[in-house]
Amino acid sequence: MPTMKSNRTQEVLYESEAALRLVDHELSELHDVHESFAAASAAPRGLSGLGDISALLDQANSQIMSVLARLREGRATIESTAVGKVRITQDKLREVTSATEDAATNIMDACDRATTLVDALDDIDASDTPNRVEASAVREVLRDELFLMMGALQFQDLTSQQLAHASALLDDMEHRMIEVAKLFDPSAAVELSKLARTVDNNSLPYDVNATTHNADSRQALADEIFTAIRSNAG
Amino acid sequence: MKFLVVDDSATMRRIVLNSLLRIGFHEAIEAADGIEALAKFDETIDFVITDWNMPNMSGTEFTKALRLRGDGKDVPVLMVTARSVRDDILVAMEAGVNNYIVKPFTPQVLKDKIDALLPAAA
Repeated sequence: MPTMKSNRTQEVLYESEAALRLVDHELSELHDVHESFAAASAAPRGLSGLGDISALLDQANSQIMSVLARLREGRATIESTAVGKVRITQDKLREVTSATEDAATNIMDACDRATTLVDALDDIDASDTPNRVEASAVREVLRDELFLMMGALQFQDLTSQQLAHASALLDDMEHRMIEVAKLFDPSAAVELSKLARTVDNNSLPYDVNATTHNADSRQALADEIFTAIRSNAG
Repeated sequence: MKFLVVDDSATMRRIVLNSLLRIGFHEAIEAADGIEALAKFDETIDFVITDWNMPNMSGTEFTKALRLRGDGKDVPVLMVTARSVRDDILVAMEAGVNNYIVKPFTPQVLKDKIDALLPAAA
């Protein structure tokens, strides 16, 4: 199940959420300033001196500048978040391309070798005195090659997990961008929400670290851990 | 020796089944997730090979549930998964997995792991 996120992903999500909270907070403050102006405008002239209005304008200016600075900061954070997610997604898609290419190459190489072996069997068969022992050995190698082709198809399981991960990242980015858009235009919230797709995460189980690379070293790590823990238990 | 092969990927189930044939094991049944595997498991199963990431019930959840059953507490469980970080491997061990294969694997690795666990199955 896609419950495990890499540290980087969690960090990116945290930064993005923090930025959104910041933007929300500052927009609320803007609203407060707007209300202060409204109250001042509604007050009887006799109750509000020129000095009070000047102080209020200074305060409002200061708050607006602060809000603008925070908005810029928030935008930068959101941009960096999006860039990070896009980069991870790109990496996943590149790895899928690479794994597909590797598998295709391995299968074609095995096909070439298998064809050569079939030719060798034809030669043995064409002989006046076919060497059955040699033919048997060639058939065994041929079976190995055919099996190698099947084994190469393991890439399908791993790349499907990588694609599921990339899809989940894109989906998360879409929701996050819609939330940001809602902050700046709450009136469009309903329409924007319709754009957000509902994804059943349970139907897309994947491992964020799924890869076709370094199988030997990853297997060695697993063996090392099992051996070490069994030794300790023994 | 009868195997139960559990994986949500039909491709992977087929590859594991063919690998078993290749190394001399001819009897196996399949399941697409932990729930189906629990339903199909019985005392005739000598060895379980399971994936981790599956819908409905994962491989670790399945293994935990199997260990709570009288007929499944001692059966060898070999996990074949894409997960290969240290913490994941430890979680699998805690769930009751007896050994661990990282995808993609070769038939030789599968054979070595099964051979290593066979005494436990005897």
